[in-house]
Amino acid sequence: MVLLLKDKNKLAWLFITGGVLILPFAFGKGFYLNTMNFIALHAMVAVGLCLLVGYGGQLSISHSAFFAIGAYATAIFCLRYRLSPLVSILLSQGLSALLAWWIGWVVLRLKGHYLAIATLSFTIIVEVLVKEMAWLTGGLQGLSSIPPIAMGGFLIDSDYRFYFVVWPLTMLLFLFSLNLVDSRMGRIFRAIKENEDIARQFGADVKTYKIKLFIVSSVYASIAGSLYAHFVTFISPVTGSIMFAIDIIMVLAFGGFTLLWGAMIGVASLTFLNEYLTIFADYKRTIYGLSLVIIILFFPNGLLLGLRDLSNRIFSSIAWRRKKHASAG
Amino acid sequence: MLQLDDVSKDFGGLKALSDLTFNVRKGQIKGLIGPNGAGKTTLFNLITGVFPPSRGTIIFLGEEITHHKPEKISRLGVSRTFQQPHLFKSLTVWENVMLGRHYRTQSEFFACGLRLPNAALEEKAIKEKSLEYLSVFGLADKKNQIANKLPLGEQRYLEVARALATEPKLLLLDEPTSGLNDHETELFQDLLFRIREMGVTLLVIEHHMKFIMGLCEEIAVLNFGNKIAEGSPREIQVSPEVITAYLGTEDSLA
Repeated sequence: MVLLLKDKNKLAWLFITGGVLILPFAFGKGFYLNTMNFIALHAMVAVGLCLLVGYGGQLSISHSAFFAIGAYATAIFCLRYRLSPLVSILLSQGLSALLAWWIGWVVLRLKGHYLAIATLSFTIIVEVLVKEMAWLTGGLQGLSSIPPIAMGGFLIDSDYRFYFVVWPLTMLLFLFSLNLVDSRMGRIFRAIKENEDIARQFGADVKTYKIKLFIVSSVYASIAGSLYAHFVTFISPVTGSIMFAIDIIMVLAFGGFTLLWGAMIGVASLTFLNEYLTIFADYKRTIYGLSLVIIILFFPNGLLLGLRDLSNRIFSSIAWRRKKHASAG
Repeated sequence: MLQLDDVSKDFGGLKALSDLTFNVRKGQIKGLIGPNGAGKTTLFNLITGVFPPSRGTIIFLGEEITHHKPEKISRLGVSRTFQQPHLFKSLTVWENVMLGRHYRTQSEFFACGLRLPNAALEEKAIKEKSLEYLSVFGLADKKNQIANKLPLGEQRYLEVARALATEPKLLLLDEPTSGLNDHETELFQDLLFRIREMGVTLLVIEHHMKFIMGLCEEIAVLNFGNKIAEGSPREIQVSPEVITAYLGTEDSLA
């Protein structure tokens, strides 16, 4: 605990976690809980992607595919093999990890745009398979009546109950990420992102490290997918479409690629914007696309981080001018 | 401790190094000099495994490392600095040195993420040890700055601190004093003597003659990929081959 409180990040984490868990008691049950649940699910995916992109430097567009794999795997285990939801969810993560290991082993030798294209192709393949393998996945109609998670006879079947499953888990996964980036492994990932050759001189086994990070990052998305399936109880090819992958990248573009907190803030802001700016719903894709282009052009590290740097620069230049003024006078 | 036998490196048709035999003894500060393009940095790249030699063998502490990958060679205890400091600019000064502790520590991926007791203890040790190395170079109070915001002299110090943090047995320094003023160069010399006292063997590339003559007990001279002389600073200074390589022959003046 002493260790916890010394660190600014951990303190903020403790504060947010506490706040989130008290929220339902303060405001009661309501539709906002549903929104909050989706924030938690998307945050899991975003934090996972942020680890991979922001700290590992590997731009991947496969997170929607792993979300879909997590969702479909648990649904299929549950509906076709009659396994209990908890067992299905666990098995699905194993499956996702295996797949991620295999895909990572193949595609992570690529870099930059090539890697992005390769992972995008994987996402497209998964989407096509989900649509075409109707005997397993229900095709375009999807799978319905997926049973909710049951914990010792206690059904997680409402927004309120799901809230207390998904938020603690999201915050724990977030804590895992915070710990990871501030450790010997986190530092070596940041070094790999900057310069692989030099990182190797410090003992980085670049290939293995990248694959490990890719697996963990993909499993984040897959856990979110599995929980989604049992929460919404219905999944279809739309569940893990490419658009979802773009949405998550949008979240990072907004909150900042190189900051885990940015991923959280990005998810929360964009979800609320989505909910409360429904008048623009028809133009959502256009607005997203345009903003993404603008953000990447002017703030390649992400909008919030970019604005922060910009304000720092303005303030320091004001301070510098004052100092100059004072010394001149 | 380090033994190169008949090592050659060709880049296409260009012979960067030809049939070089060269060794570094334990506890030595060995100098490596030569005009630009003589193959000095190529030699460093061969030793650290950036690329393998075209022919010949490299042996470090009795183990053949000719075709080892860089990460493996660094784990055996070879560390280096670069002509242009290659610091990680997204990491702070402190974190750069902590990175040097990477392969001297063990905590795996999950232990780090879950911050298991072992990993937490190790992390604490990494921080303390790195701070010690920073203090040696007088950088402790700049520990939270971004590494490449430091002035060049301090960047060089930081690079050496980071390399030392790996606890190398052999440290390769590529022109450590370029861009430093005379005073800083003198300080650097004292520092290198202290590093040798820590039990680290040093191999130094340098253009600064006064610095290298005062520093090393043995110097090798390269020119166009060949070793043209090797010996004590005094021997090197009077060697006709070396004088020719640096100043040209009388014929070329005529």
